[in-house]
Amino acid sequence: MLYSWASFHLHRHFSLLAPKSHRIRQLADSTMQGAGKKPRSVATESASSSSSMKESFSKYAEYLNQFNDKRERVVKASRDITNNSKKVIFQVHRIGKNNKDEVLQKAEKDLSAVKDQYIARLVNELQGTDFWKLRRAYSPGVQEYVEAATLCKFCTSGTLLNLDEINTMLLPLSDPSLEPLQINILDYILGLADLTGELMRLAIGRISDGEIEYAKKICRFVREIYRELTLLAPKMDESWDMKTKMDVMLQSVMKIENACFSVHVRGSEYTSLSGMEDANYALLGVSDFD
Amino acid sequence: MMKSASRTALILATALSHRSLNPNPITPFFLRTATASLPLISYTTTVTRRPPSFNLFCTSMAAGDSSPTSAAVEKQFDEFRYSLEESGNLRDRIKAVATEIDSTTRIMHSILLLVHQSRPIPEVLEKVNSQVDKLKQLFSKLAEIVRESPGQYYRYHGDWRTETQQVVSLLAFMHWLETGNLLIHTEMEQKLELNKEFWLDVEDYLTGICFMSNELPRYVVNQVTAGDYDCPRKVLKFLTDLHASFRMLNLRNDFLRKKFDGMKYDLRRVEEVYYDVKIRGLGSKGDVEGDQIIQES
Repeated sequence: MLYSWASFHLHRHFSLLAPKSHRIRQLADSTMQGAGKKPRSVATESASSSSSMKESFSKYAEYLNQFNDKRERVVKASRDITNNSKKVIFQVHRIGKNNKDEVLQKAEKDLSAVKDQYIARLVNELQGTDFWKLRRAYSPGVQEYVEAATLCKFCTSGTLLNLDEINTMLLPLSDPSLEPLQINILDYILGLADLTGELMRLAIGRISDGEIEYAKKICRFVREIYRELTLLAPKMDESWDMKTKMDVMLQSVMKIENACFSVHVRGSEYTSLSGMEDANYALLGVSDFD
Repeated sequence: MMKSASRTALILATALSHRSLNPNPITPFFLRTATASLPLISYTTTVTRRPPSFNLFCTSMAAGDSSPTSAAVEKQFDEFRYSLEESGNLRDRIKAVATEIDSTTRIMHSILLLVHQSRPIPEVLEKVNSQVDKLKQLFSKLAEIVRESPGQYYRYHGDWRTETQQVVSLLAFMHWLETGNLLIHTEMEQKLELNKEFWLDVEDYLTGICFMSNELPRYVVNQVTAGDYDCPRKVLKFLTDLHASFRMLNLRNDFLRKKFDGMKYDLRRVEEVYYDVKIRGLGSKGDVEGDQIIQES
């Protein structure tokens, strides 16, 4: 071993500077005579124990290899879910005044493809186990999926997609003999918290398209979610994470409210000014959204 | 257009619901019907010069402030709250037991520290062994709590993790003092009377073993000072084997990896002590055999 050799050399060096060592040795020999036979038995014993140590460590190694590989696969599946859910969200944002049905139909189609392809892969990798142990590995993907699914649902029906509804949709993905993957409350709530940001973008887009009522509907929806989540945030398992999300959420809610306020205050000017399709953001006083 | 009385009422309602952060805000507008019923032109043509107090907010609220979806939303969040409160309680109880485990390990640690003061090992072990039963009880208490929430061992794992690693390190050190061998994972589970329902996480076990290794350099130094010149050889042999065994593991860049990286400093320190003793010829005659074994591994 490298460092043992290093120490060897170091100490050889030192030994030259230790002229007293001989005398100490004699002293030690006389004191240690009683224990003369003991070391041999210890040595043989530890030789066998070292092989049994290696044996058990090879089991740990196998376990760690398998588990880390599984985690790696789950992380990959999660990343694919994130990626493709994001695409669904972008699709929803392509919504315009006159193409809603068409755009949302495509979004829903893509969303169910995310479920059937990528979430199915996650389910397959997890094999009905380690739902909590590997939660960190797949949580980002699941949150993003919740975000995309709830966004689609809101746009098509104006309602909140419940956790139970999502989980019912996921059931067929799991092998009936295994414990099915069910999204846990925490990931659902974290996904909902992110939904607010997307709804803010949507609301601003709708206002600029002249769909004020749509924006207000979003505003009411988002406010209600924010209000419900304020009660839940401190009870979450990792509440600091949720706390930052709540702050961001409040920012989003306020951006929508400010946009609605601008339309409200300058409503008449705005509508008379821009009977045309696209008003610009600066007029609405919401130039700072992103 | 609305009459002005109802208009004011609505403005008031809006103001109120704003203040209360809008308790019941969803109107039964569905998107497509909403946009259809809200043609921009109708405003521009019929109400060209509205006073600013009359506004789109009011008209939107005129559709009503109660929502059919709101009750379902509320119900779901109520259930969440209930569920999260329950898991919070469970966590609090787990933490309470973990604190007890922590104080027990502190007592054990302080007893074990007597070995550095050259107190006879059997005496120290006897004293410290009396605490092991307490640990068993605490772990069975922990298992009982976690059993209430099946399949969620790893949801709460973080709450007893560090305490358990400490327990592992102490029990492994005790076992080593007694036998000179490593207490392996399954033996550790037996010692704590754990089972398939509440087990010992392998990574926690390994981290605990790394903690134990941190204890060894100090032990060696003090044993040599007290005149046990054979001790460094034994410890070096053990630690060399242990380090070699750890090198079989493919670790991730996590806490365990960091602890394992630290183990080489323990090993180096023990080597230093060993050579200090050996070079001065202080070791016993069994040295030659011991050296061979160390170099073989």
